[in-house]
Amino acid sequence: MTNTLHRQGTIESLKHDYVIFAHTAKGINREGAAPKIREFMKICLKYNPVNMGDVKQGSMHQDDIAIESLIANLGEGTVAAAVFTDLDTLEKVVQELIRADLGICINITGLLDEVKECCRRAGITRNSAEHSLGIWGAKDRLPEREVMEFNTMCGHGMVSFNLIRKMIEQVRMRRMTPKRAALMMAKCCECGAFNPARAEALLERMRERGFLHSAAFSHGLATLPE
Amino acid sequence: MTKCVGCGNCHIICTMGAISLDADGKSVVNQDECVECSTCWRVLRDEGYRAWYVRAIRKALSFFKLGYLADADLCPTGALTPPELTWPRILRAQFSNPTVVHPGTGVPGRGTDEIKSNDVTGRLRRGEAGIVVEIGRPGIGAFFRDVEKVAMALAPLAPLFEPENPVTHLISDFKTGRMKEDVLDEKILSAIIEFKTGMEKIPAFLGVLEKVQHEIDTVISVGVASRCLPDGTIPHEEWVKKAGYALSPNGKTNIGLGRPLFREDEP
Repeated sequence: MTNTLHRQGTIESLKHDYVIFAHTAKGINREGAAPKIREFMKICLKYNPVNMGDVKQGSMHQDDIAIESLIANLGEGTVAAAVFTDLDTLEKVVQELIRADLGICINITGLLDEVKECCRRAGITRNSAEHSLGIWGAKDRLPEREVMEFNTMCGHGMVSFNLIRKMIEQVRMRRMTPKRAALMMAKCCECGAFNPARAEALLERMRERGFLHSAAFSHGLATLPE
Repeated sequence: MTKCVGCGNCHIICTMGAISLDADGKSVVNQDECVECSTCWRVLRDEGYRAWYVRAIRKALSFFKLGYLADADLCPTGALTPPELTWPRILRAQFSNPTVVHPGTGVPGRGTDEIKSNDVTGRLRRGEAGIVVEIGRPGIGAFFRDVEKVAMALAPLAPLFEPENPVTHLISDFKTGRMKEDVLDEKILSAIIEFKTGMEKIPAFLGVLEKVQHEIDTVISVGVASRCLPDGTIPHEEWVKKAGYALSPNGKTNIGLGRPLFREDEP
């Protein structure tokens, strides 16, 4: 699905948010792809992603999920994802994936110009691209834009508005550290696309600059003013 | 219900805010609003306590004017169990629980391949645009009757609905966009109408969405995709801008490492 497409935030914040994932097409490169997907995840793991997972098994931040067994049990029909927080590391991952020549489809969600540049430096030209045109419809039903920045990191919608508010409140009351609150949110995301490092940074920023003081979400644009 | 001690943790985790306390201090699920995503069941750890024990501890603590704040990801008594679902309610799980494999697509969740495998499938060829209209996202949810309204608005423009998409399977008449009658009252976290069209028709489709967005009581996340030109530029950008819409600076890129690579001269 488009689960990583509509991530919201400032450009500065999105510079620390790159999701790379492997996919296969039925009848073309899916059959027998399990070892290749496992190899993809092993390559990602070498570069210390802040999250990893596949939708069938869950993410590395969930209870009772060991990363080694998660990789060992990856099947051929799954979408395996890893999250990185900087472009340099992402570029190293891409270069290693090119060398590995796995033949599975590799996608990256992040700032499009930066990803394009990353591909250029790695010596490849991107194949296809997809933009978000933002949120339309009854936007008055959405919460504050800060809440949206957390919520849209899990495109499947598993991190509820209420949990995000609760975590913000717990950090405000100093009952939880930003790191612990971010990991609690990451636990809800099944596919491992949630970025707990970015969530932690957002909570840290809130602690410094104030909590939930913005107007209700209304502009619908993916990019937020700095 | 017999196990619930009304701690309220599931209320916070619930993606739809569909759980609340009843008059007896136990949590109840609003079945109309529940989308069967099973997040409550998956995320909340069962602490394995007996309900009488938790209640007794609470009583003792309250005697001393003390309380206990449990972690948000705990269900003290393991009171949650996912129900057995039948048609049409099972659609709620298929569209809301990403771990459920949709029988029509063979992939988990409500989505499809879109551009994720375009390097090997050539689903979107040069000159074609893929449009994804996700109704209910983010975080609000939608009924299929909302999805039908959008599908019916788009249908007169003759979109090529993606055959592998789970929403396409529920459309009973592609000329009108009408959906199967028995699914309309089912609520889901979101559903994606996915289609492709000629690049030059992007403005017309966005114009239709502009109008229909005011006729439904939920949100829509819209995306546009295309195959890049040989120099890496994105052809749909020009058409979206021409139509007067802003493009996000972030998005999804298929970097073209899939094999065998699709060639434009293939049938």
